[in-house]
Formats: sequence, structure tokens, C-alpha cells
Amino acid sequence: MTLRWIVFFVVAVVINFPIISTLITAFKSPAEVARNPSLWIEAPTLANFVTVLTVSDRLNIYQYLLNSVVAASIGAILPLFLCFPIAWAMARRGYGAGLLFPLIVNLRALPLIIFAIPLYVMYSAIGLLDTKLGLGLILAVVNLPLALMLLVNAVAELPIELEEAARMDGARLPRLLVKVVLPLCRPAFVTTFVFGFITAWNEFLFGLMLTTQAAVPVTVGASFFFATSGGGVQWGVAAAVMVVAALPPLVLGLIMYRRITGSMVAGAVKG
Amino acid sequence: MRGIQLKNLKKSFGATQVIRDVSLTIEDGEFCVFVGPSGCGKSTLLRIIAGLETVDSGSITINDRDVTALEPYDRGLSMVFQSYALYPHMTVRDNIAFALSTAKMPKAEIATKVAEAARMLQLGPLLDRKPAALSGGQRQRVAIGRAIVREPAAFLFDEPLSNLDAALRVDTRAEIAALHRQIAATMIYVTHDQIEAMTLADRIVVLNAGQIMQVGSPRDLYERPANTFVAQFLGTPKMNLMAALAENGQVRLAGGGVLPAPAPQGLAQIGLRPEHLNFCAPGEGQVQGQVAMVEYHGPTLSVAVDAGVDGKVMAFAAPGVAVRAGEPVGLRLDPTALHLFDASGQRL
Repeated sequence: MTLRWIVFFVVAVVINFPIISTLITAFKSPAEVARNPSLWIEAPTLANFVTVLTVSDRLNIYQYLLNSVVAASIGAILPLFLCFPIAWAMARRGYGAGLLFPLIVNLRALPLIIFAIPLYVMYSAIGLLDTKLGLGLILAVVNLPLALMLLVNAVAELPIELEEAARMDGARLPRLLVKVVLPLCRPAFVTTFVFGFITAWNEFLFGLMLTTQAAVPVTVGASFFFATSGGGVQWGVAAAVMVVAALPPLVLGLIMYRRITGSMVAGAVKG
Repeated sequence: MRGIQLKNLKKSFGATQVIRDVSLTIEDGEFCVFVGPSGCGKSTLLRIIAGLETVDSGSITINDRDVTALEPYDRGLSMVFQSYALYPHMTVRDNIAFALSTAKMPKAEIATKVAEAARMLQLGPLLDRKPAALSGGQRQRVAIGRAIVREPAAFLFDEPLSNLDAALRVDTRAEIAALHRQIAATMIYVTHDQIEAMTLADRIVVLNAGQIMQVGSPRDLYERPANTFVAQFLGTPKMNLMAALAENGQVRLAGGGVLPAPAPQGLAQIGLRPEHLNFCAPGEGQVQGQVAMVEYHGPTLSVAVDAGVDGKVMAFAAPGVAVRAGEPVGLRLDPTALHLFDASGQRL
């Protein structure tokens, strides 16, 4: 039993080493980072976090965080609204299930850089460059395949009798979708939202390409901290900004975890 | 004309024709049971009436209104599903009220109707529970409550008792019968269980391979089956069929036994229910055989007799009668209870 726990501990440390290492580095002074590469902190300091959380002329972590929250929220929520009716039509009526569904899902396999040049030109033309909305919209496109896949599966797994019962109870399609199908797909919605938000939050390429100042997301903004005072990389500050940037999706994941795993259809039909 | 009229309904799934030219009139207030073996098309026929399946041809009229092309929600029918199909995210109260709130009924009226349905089905203490916290019987009662609260043109039941255990099935069956007496609504009930069909129905529709085999009261069907399929489908154990010929105006069995009963030309087989065969000493009676199996059912013994060319014959015996597997026996057939069929299985 003890051996088992030792193995668990060692594996947990090895797997989480990058996170632990970053977290520890964030609490070291620049001098200690250079001198002491171990996981032990000789003189813990919050100086790196103070640097990160202090607004300067050039750097504003709060703005970057806000930009990321807005863009990632658009990128995570918009696909839910777009994909839910499509998912129902595909799962229940078979519309596009043969061609459109695999096509959209396979968009995920394409390297996103393919979209870069036409998107830049298009955004430039319609004034979406360096806007949170513009960044959010492309993040929604990035999340669309996963959202569609998860929601199609969720709808397809609902007992068809529930929809038939609702139709017999007088519900036309909009009420059927809103009152019966949507609440029962809630775990899939939460899952799609959480994964979509995390994907959107961590996205770097479009943030770098489509934003310059007003809508810079935290992934891009974090990179600005790496060499704050010229010269070499400030590893302590870099680690601190990474910790700050990683916290929101981590907290979201922890809060939503229970809702991701629950089933909604217990007691609906004889199983 | 009130009630439900089905005219020349046809339905195929791919190359398989599941409903073949079915025409039927269900009277207003009637309890009509569709019965038949698995795959006979009874559930499909019910779903066609509900509007959950479309027809290839034919028409459906409900209370003088042609509903053939209408969606389920425009037909004014309620349905109780085999699997209950309760909305799991809603309480019992919301499940029952769903159709009424969909119809935009005032909240006070909804509350009154839900309370009335809950009282009728003894669901009062359960109104704030979710379906997951209910037993199978309670769930089925909620499903029935959801159906009755709408006061529909007709109720459709799709094997509503098949997921319940035996004791609960008997109780719920009685509740459904009482409900029908109480609200006197048209009910169409699908089952594969002939006991349910016999006990509940005003009229039974026996289906096989997408066709109606016979329509009639339970007594009609049991006592005057139109063909060998109906004869053998209703009754447990099923009716005995024995090859027979008309000879000198009498019935001669393949095994040589002669029955003093008028036999029309074209007779090919006789049917006799197990309760119309009596055991007698070997060598006596019209059928000779050997006891193959004895089942104790409490009030009766169900005995299978291997009767050679007359086939395997089922007969009842009083529990006190000494019959043991392997013993030779004779069987005396009641000539007044014979059912006569031609070679195609049609009643003569």
C-alpha cells in the first residue's frame, strides 16, 4: 500500500513537473533563479507577481485578462448557440450528417495558419482587427467542430421517446428544443463551454496576428513580460505571468467539473 | 361520426411492408386493444394514429376530422409510452402540467387540473419529486396522469405495463380499466399480452404480419376465432389443432378417432381448447397418447400428451387426477366445443 502511494506521488510529480517548476520559479528572485535551479526556494518573494500585477505604460495584465475573458467567452458561447439547432437537425433529421458533419469536424485537423492571410485581409476590410469581437469570432470558428461533435452526440443519445412525448404533449419544435432537449443536453453544453473556453483562452496564433493593442489577449500579453527591462528573459516574471494567465481556466474547470460528468436522463425511460 | 376511422392504411420501412391495407373503425368511448406477436405492426399502427409515423397511403379520421397529414400536436391525442418517457429534469407536477402550459392554459386552471389528476392517480405526495426518485409503477402513473390531464380525443397506450413486475402489472391494469370506466374516453391500447387484451378490451384487434386477422369482443375471439392464427394466439395454453377430415358427416381425426359432430366439406383441421379435453383410460376416448409433461398451476394441471399422428395435445386436469409423465392415457374430446378450419386455416 505504501509503495503504491510512493509510485502515485512520483508519477504525479513527474507529470506535473512543468507546472510545479513554473510555480516555484514565480516565487524566486532573479538572482535566485540564476543561482538555484532546484525546486527549493531559499528566499520566497512576491516581487514577480507585483511586477506582473502593476500597470505600466506598456503593460496592463488586467486589460489582457479582460480581453481574453471577453474573446474566450464569445469563442466558447457562440458555437453553443450555432451548433445546438444544427446538432438536433443532424442527429434527429439526418440533415448534413453524411457530408457536412464530417466536413466540419475535420476542420479541426486543418492547421489554423491556413486561415491567417485571408482572415487578416477580411478583418482589415471590415474593421475587426484588434477588436475583442473579431478575436472572439475566429475563436468561435476554432471551437465549432468540437462543439458540433459533442452536441450531435449528446442529442443522439437522448431517448427519442422524450421528444415524441413532448410532441404528443403539443410542443412544436422551438418549445421541444428549449424545454426538453436543451435542458437534457446541459452536461454536454457545460463540457463544450469549458473545453471551448480553455481552447480559446490558450489560443496564441490569432491573438498575435489579429490584435496589436486594444484587444491583446493574455497569451500574447504574457509574452510582453518576458523581457520587461531589456536584456535577457526575466524568468521569475515570466513564470508569474504564466501562473496568473493559467488561473482563470483552471478555476473554471474546477467549478464546472461536477456539471460536466453528471447525467441528465436518470428516470426518463426504463433503462 | 365521432371516434377514429382508419382507411386502407399502408406503411413500409424500406422494402418491408409493416402495415398492409388496414381499415378499422374505433367507436367513441371504446377500449380497443391491438394485440399480436412481436413485429406484427401493432405499435407501428398506434404510432401512425399518433402521428409519430407517416403513412404511405390511406387516411385517418378523428372525430370527423382528417388528420392524416397533421403533426402529432395537432391531433389532440395523448400517449402513454412503454418506457414512460417522463421528462427527467422536471418534477412530477411539471411533467403532468407540461401539455397544459404548452397550450398556454392559465396557471390557476393548470394547478386545478394537475391536482385533480394527482388525486385520481394517488400522486399527491409525489408531485414535487423528480422521476428518478419514483418506482416503476409510480412513473407509469405519472405518465398516465400526463395523458389524462389534457382531456384528449383519445388515449393511446403503447405496451404501458410491459416494464412493470407481475404484481404491479395486475394492479395497474385494474387502474387503467377503472380509469376507462371513470372518464369513458376512447382508448387504444397495444399489447402482446393476451391476458391484458382479454381483460381490458371492449374490442380486440388481432394483428399479424401487418394485417388485421380478426376484430371482435374478447368472448367472440376466444369462442369463435376466425382462423387458426387467432385461435392459437388467444388462450393459454394455446388451442390444440389436429388434422381431421369430414367422413360420413362426422369428424375423423388423423389418428383414427371419430367425433359425432357435423363436419362440412373442406374440413382439414379441428381446434379444441385444453379445457375441452378430458382424460380417460388408455384405449378409451378419441385420442390416444403418452403423457409428455405435467405442469402444476395450482387450480389445474396442464398436461402435454404426445398423441402420435394427432400431434402434441395440451389438456387440463384437476389437481387430484393422477397423471404422470410417461404414462399412456386416453383423451375424450368435447364434440360441442370443436372449431372447424379449412386447409388455409380459415373457420368453416
